[in-house]
Amino acid sequence: MQTTLAALAVIAVGYILAYLVFNRLRDRFGYVGGAEYVIIGFLLGPRVTGLLGAAQVQDLTPIVSLAVGWLGMLLGTYFRVPSMALIPAAHLRAAFTEAFSTFGFALFVLIVLFRIVGSGWPDTMVQAVSLASVATLSSPAAVDVLSRRADGSPLFPILQLTARIDALVAVAGFGLILAIYHQGQVAPSVRPPTATEWAVINLAIGLACGILFHLFLGPPSQLKEAEGSSRLFVALAGAIVIASGASYYLNLSPIFTNLILGFILANTGGAHGDVTGLLRATERPVYLALLVFAGAAWSPGSRELLFIAPLFVLVRLAARVVGGWIAGRRLEALRSPRLGRALLAQGGLAVALAINYTQVHPELNSDLVLTATLVSVLLFEIVAAREAVTLVGRTAVEPAAK
Amino acid sequence: MIRRLVVLLLLVGGAVLLEPLRVPTEGVIAPRSLFLFGILLLTADTFGALAHDLKLPRLVGYLVAGLVLGPSVARIVPAGVLEDLAMMKRLAVGLIGLLAGAELRMRDLRDRHRTIGLILSLQTIAVLGVLLGTTLLAASWMPFLSGLSPGPLFFVALLFASVLTINSPMVTLAMLTETRASGPLAKTTLGVVLVADVLIILLFTGAFSLARGSLTGTMAGASSAMTRLLLEVVGSIAAGVFVGAVVSVYLRLVRRELVLFAVLVVFATAAAAQALHFELLLSLLVAGFLVENVAPVRAEPLVQALHQTAVPVFVIFFAMAGAELHLQDFAAVWPLVLLIALARMGAIRGSATLAAHLARAEPAVVRYGWTGLVSQAGVALGLAAIVADRLPRVGLAMQAVTVGVIAFNESVGPILFRRGLERAGEVAPG
Repeated sequence: MQTTLAALAVIAVGYILAYLVFNRLRDRFGYVGGAEYVIIGFLLGPRVTGLLGAAQVQDLTPIVSLAVGWLGMLLGTYFRVPSMALIPAAHLRAAFTEAFSTFGFALFVLIVLFRIVGSGWPDTMVQAVSLASVATLSSPAAVDVLSRRADGSPLFPILQLTARIDALVAVAGFGLILAIYHQGQVAPSVRPPTATEWAVINLAIGLACGILFHLFLGPPSQLKEAEGSSRLFVALAGAIVIASGASYYLNLSPIFTNLILGFILANTGGAHGDVTGLLRATERPVYLALLVFAGAAWSPGSRELLFIAPLFVLVRLAARVVGGWIAGRRLEALRSPRLGRALLAQGGLAVALAINYTQVHPELNSDLVLTATLVSVLLFEIVAAREAVTLVGRTAVEPAAK
Repeated sequence: MIRRLVVLLLLVGGAVLLEPLRVPTEGVIAPRSLFLFGILLLTADTFGALAHDLKLPRLVGYLVAGLVLGPSVARIVPAGVLEDLAMMKRLAVGLIGLLAGAELRMRDLRDRHRTIGLILSLQTIAVLGVLLGTTLLAASWMPFLSGLSPGPLFFVALLFASVLTINSPMVTLAMLTETRASGPLAKTTLGVVLVADVLIILLFTGAFSLARGSLTGTMAGASSAMTRLLLEVVGSIAAGVFVGAVVSVYLRLVRRELVLFAVLVVFATAAAAQALHFELLLSLLVAGFLVENVAPVRAEPLVQALHQTAVPVFVIFFAMAGAELHLQDFAAVWPLVLLIALARMGAIRGSATLAAHLARAEPAVVRYGWTGLVSQAGVALGLAAIVADRLPRVGLAMQAVTVGVIAFNESVGPILFRRGLERAGEVAPG
């Protein structure tokens, strides 16, 4: 009894202290992150109080899978074809260049690092692609927050697009690597699918779920008749849990599946406005819930991780700078080689990818991937907002001066 | 509606197609459970809408969806899946408890203390008396009373009656949330049901101890059981005070991300309740009540945040409750179940009407006050499970009858309460 009471006291006091510390950071440096939620998760987890042990974490998988899928679906809703068709080709070229350059640079460095430490090719590829995906991610939501301060900046629409393309490339890369190096056995009566077939199966699940939920939600008039957002929340939660369940069932990426699902719902019927509005309104609590789970699942097994994680932060920083520089040079109108500086925030999707990795590849350095991701997400959140505002402000002035 | 049902069937069919490609996944809940949880949510939402179209409470639709998909009927959601998802149900119970406690306002209790007190007292006495009498009269047909000598027979019958005396805070709150009712009938029912939750658990504690003592033949056994259960009740209240203090500090210092905070509080309390053997619902009821009425903070933001989660939480709770109903058990003892359920309903109607009349309550409370007191759900099921677990000799047989009566009350109660609220003119338009 005393142990449990002590555990509860540790959590309560630990959270309040963490909150007070990060609140000061918020006031002084404009910090927008949720490090205190990682701390509360860590305090709840097996490493400290054990209230959120391995069994309990497993019990809460429906919530985790909902949160992971929720962010994937939200990303899918950003790609509405009618809006995309209005984007200038030069912006699209720049966004894809930035995403692929960042991903390529990070992947190259990570492959070299994993090979240096003696990892085999398949393991190297799985870990390097997963971490390169995390490195490539930049948070579309964080860029959207800029809109209030970037009114009139010609860089803002490019940043907005680039953040979304970054996330798309990262999630697609991660989904693809889980399909190519697929884990697990199929039934003896079935020929094991090839890597391409797994990728197609993953895509097909997303498409099928998207079409079925489009039919399930029905015309917008029916949604209006329903009790507003609460019932839409239940329907979306059901859809995401089903799509995620099907992906987990096959050891594929639920984030990728839900991305396709979100893309279809955003582009079909009249319900897209309600769906997108609800997903965006709930992004922050979903992200923070993921941080709590990540904190609880975080189990740094060795001190080496504390050195490797900052190394990953440096790799990501370099990749962002290189990717931003290459893409910025392609933007003739702006010539902003520091594009990457405005895309430092990673957001919930990075945590979702890392959690998904720990679920599918628990035996393959999952501690390393989770630690590197958490350290990276939390550190970059400290500087991301200030860097982005500085760059956007400067670019808003420079073209006019010229 | 048909389109939605076809989509659900296609989803289940699609899952069958994926079966041969199944691969073992470590570290997460069985993916099948996850998938079926999604199916359960969507089916419950669809059946809830159907019930609404039929002018029935949505929660009846949720219950029916769970029942249809569960082990009793279609067996699409087997018992193992429900075990996998038990934590989700505990979270739902905790959130409902916190919200229910915060909805109970001291001012309403003070204004209506006479009505609430009289209804509570007369209802408890009448239901206990009528059910005890009915059970004793029908003792030869009661499977759990067979072979008992007069002493234990009386106390086991009293225990059975005490389990069926309890009402349902979950159903009451779900109905008030769905109808957005806030008149005298709604306030009185909420007050009676929530105060009864505390008092009848104490009553159950006494009855359980006496039954146990009479069955084992030692008063030492009875006193130790009573001490243990009383400690559980006191522990629940103490835990509620502690949780209420934590929530108050959070509301004063932080006041952000309240939904997430509420979920974490419920989770931590549920984990502590398992470790320290106290009752989750009772402790969170106390916590919610203290935050709303005693703490020097504004609880309104928390109540609003909890209301945002209410619909999904009710869908999860009642769909899972429906899936856990065992129709087979009900089928075997249905005449007894019907007899007990009707006797209980009659006792509630008579006593609540008389009490409201004596208290000079509003006409709506006099006429329809009883309708909100028929429902039973999670707490009653929990008490039945305690009896089955700790007194297996009589408890398992008793559970079959008790669960049947609870299932009847869980299905009929919300319909009655909705009708009562409608006729009292307290249902919000739209």
